[in-house]
Amino acid sequence: MNAPSTRKPAIDLRRYRFVRAAVGVWMTGVIGFAFLRDIPSLEILEHTARNLYFHVPMWFTMMAAVIVAAYHSARYLATDDPVRDVRAEQAARVGFVFGLLGILTGIVWARFTWYVGQGIWWNFDPRQTMVAVFLLIYGAYFTLRSSIDEPTRRARVAAVYNLFAAATMPFLTYVVPRQMPSLHPGAEGSPAFSETDLAPVMRPIFYAAIIGFIVLFWVIYTQRVRTALLEEELEENPL
Amino acid sequence: MNWMHGAWAVFEKDVRLELRSRYAINMLLMFVLAALLLVLFALGQTPVSARVQAAVLWIVILFSGAVGLGRSFISEEERGTVLLLQLNTHGSMVYAGKLLFNFVLVLVLNLVAVAAFVVLLSVAVPLPGLLLTTLGLGALGLAGATTLLAAIIARTANRGPLLPVLLFPLLVPLLLSVVSATRAALPGGAGWAGAQDELLTLVGFAGVVITASVLLFDYVWND
Repeated sequence: MNAPSTRKPAIDLRRYRFVRAAVGVWMTGVIGFAFLRDIPSLEILEHTARNLYFHVPMWFTMMAAVIVAAYHSARYLATDDPVRDVRAEQAARVGFVFGLLGILTGIVWARFTWYVGQGIWWNFDPRQTMVAVFLLIYGAYFTLRSSIDEPTRRARVAAVYNLFAAATMPFLTYVVPRQMPSLHPGAEGSPAFSETDLAPVMRPIFYAAIIGFIVLFWVIYTQRVRTALLEEELEENPL
Repeated sequence: MNWMHGAWAVFEKDVRLELRSRYAINMLLMFVLAALLLVLFALGQTPVSARVQAAVLWIVILFSGAVGLGRSFISEEERGTVLLLQLNTHGSMVYAGKLLFNFVLVLVLNLVAVAAFVVLLSVAVPLPGLLLTTLGLGALGLAGATTLLAAIIARTANRGPLLPVLLFPLLVPLLLSVVSATRAALPGGAGWAGAQDELLTLVGFAGVVITASVLLFDYVWND
């Protein structure tokens, strides 16, 4: 006999589908505008400036994922609720993919602007290197998870490692990049864009892209959490 | 039991066990000397810039630390003394005792590594005070980060080789600061004034990892 599912869906599915459809439409609009709208043409940068709409939101999204993962790890340690562990893991996984995409868009962008004519793909730019370290940290987190079989112990140890790593991350994002020369905007002090870094015409699309990618992250992440929970349930009560 | 007393008792126990077998200290020293000699053979007679010298020194120290310090909690699991410690002491005392022991171990390791490095590579050190400060702060950050991770890997299935994987990404800020501070102490370096930022970063890093470890240690220890 199959036990009926006792877990209620955590959210209103109709509203969820609406958000999912809305983010699809929104991102289509962002991508369309990003490629088609006129932008000021600067030397060297030319049309590669459009990469701003994709490259930079990846970092915002990855930072959001890092915060979500750390939050759920902390809640796991406080409550011992297994759902928190699933949430932390899936946030880290989706954030990892966004980080990877960010680094790829960054490499290609740098190759054809900063290092044009030199043929360099990778250079010791502090932000680039620090983000590679972020990816290494999450790689270590996944490796740690796969090395423990017992679920409660795995959840607890992984949560501790995630929080410990999150405690050292401000050094990677804020302290070290300011001690080294960088070609990124914001290397002179504040990491935010100054008035001259971003043309007014690009701002609305840029902000729309940030919102769109973060909501897209939320949709993929919650979707994966639901899948993981269903898989767990199927393992316990096979159909 | 009073807290200082408990932490000191854990430290004393570890020192006594270490002096009985001398396993960790022998392994660390052999590792450092072997690695430095390998580097020397690989470099041959080529003169090396101060930057490369500092980088080589710290890479060797970090690797030997990652190899040697992982033992501190695995040995408790192997001897079956975890329950005994859990019953008789509080988690924070165990952490403090182990941290102190690891700190002393790394400090000894650092001093030996630097001595060997200065003699073998014939490096002149115009600012020994700055170098010693860097070594001390680097040892504190390294021991602080490694102690919690050693407790973590003692909980995993195949304990040994995981520590470097978990440790190295976290140590990147430490490595960068420590290498530039060491470079400042070598000939042609920037001196105390130039190493100020790096030393402050090291203090901050050690503070962050030790605080985070104190907060998180109980969750790993009381399984």
